[in-house]
Amino acid sequence: MNMLAIIIPAYNEEQRVGNVVHELKRQHADALVVVVDDCSRDRTYDVARAAGATALRHVVNRGQGAALRTGTCYALERGAEYLVHFDADGQFVAADISRAVAVLEQGEADIVFGSRFLAGARANLPPVKRYVIMPLGRLFNRLLGIRLSDPQAGFRAFTRTAAERLQWQQDRMAHCSEIQRAAFQAGLRVREIPITVIYHEYGQRLSGGFRIISDILFGTFTK
Amino acid sequence: MYIQQLLGFLVVLFFLARLIAHKRSGQVNREEFYLWLVFWLAVGAVIALLKPIDTLVGRLGFSTSAINILAYLGIAVLFYALFRLRVRMAKLEKDITKVVEEVAIRKK
Repeated sequence: MNMLAIIIPAYNEEQRVGNVVHELKRQHADALVVVVDDCSRDRTYDVARAAGATALRHVVNRGQGAALRTGTCYALERGAEYLVHFDADGQFVAADISRAVAVLEQGEADIVFGSRFLAGARANLPPVKRYVIMPLGRLFNRLLGIRLSDPQAGFRAFTRTAAERLQWQQDRMAHCSEIQRAAFQAGLRVREIPITVIYHEYGQRLSGGFRIISDILFGTFTK
Repeated sequence: MYIQQLLGFLVVLFFLARLIAHKRSGQVNREEFYLWLVFWLAVGAVIALLKPIDTLVGRLGFSTSAINILAYLGIAVLFYALFRLRVRMAKLEKDITKVVEEVAIRKK
């Protein structure tokens, strides 16, 4: 049976990560659930471990992109055939994983991005995000050659082959756009599926969006 | 000699004194010491040769004084140095991340 790995970057998420891991374990009992604690100041690592996840710990905070890379490398070493990037704050729902992996298993795509904007998606986005930040993000992504409805999709699933080909460099939040761009540049078969996203916090702000653009532009000089 | 030149020399002397103090206390290595020594001596030379540089700038067709041209060049060099520094820092950040990732996986 092909191993599924669910990778969860976490920073100061002791309140929610336990429930997230329990829910994932309940719905995907055979999956390897990897929580990468990005040097949290709270008990995220212990809580994730106690909940049954394989917990890895960054000794220095390096950002979400780096934590995802650590988890992805680990999952590949463990022989995972399908990999899913998931959030630690409970904003994604475990049921969406099966639908994403089904697309991969049927050979319809190499990478599947979750979208908050496709028909059937359920996401209680704050208005500023929906009508200002996301359209700007979409516009910027178009300039990078990315044609997806959701410019900052944190939920993604991919095959082992796709994971090995995707080499993202961004350590912080710009990894989202970078992975999307890398997927198109690598010629991977890309699909989007509608997902459910439940916001508990505001998340990325407009200033964060500018930082992402700055990181991507500067990143082109430092590869 | 203009008063501005005298002030300029005082600034150069101050930084040379600081540089020598840093070298004596072992805070800068030999290569860095010579790099900054040459830099501040060059600044001193430019200050001493303001008049001839003024003439040269005029002959090159610039309608401004040598000191302005030097200021513009200085700003351009500073921006470049800042860019180089940022590139170097980005490389260091990447290296730190690589180590952190490796430690996280190996310590499992």
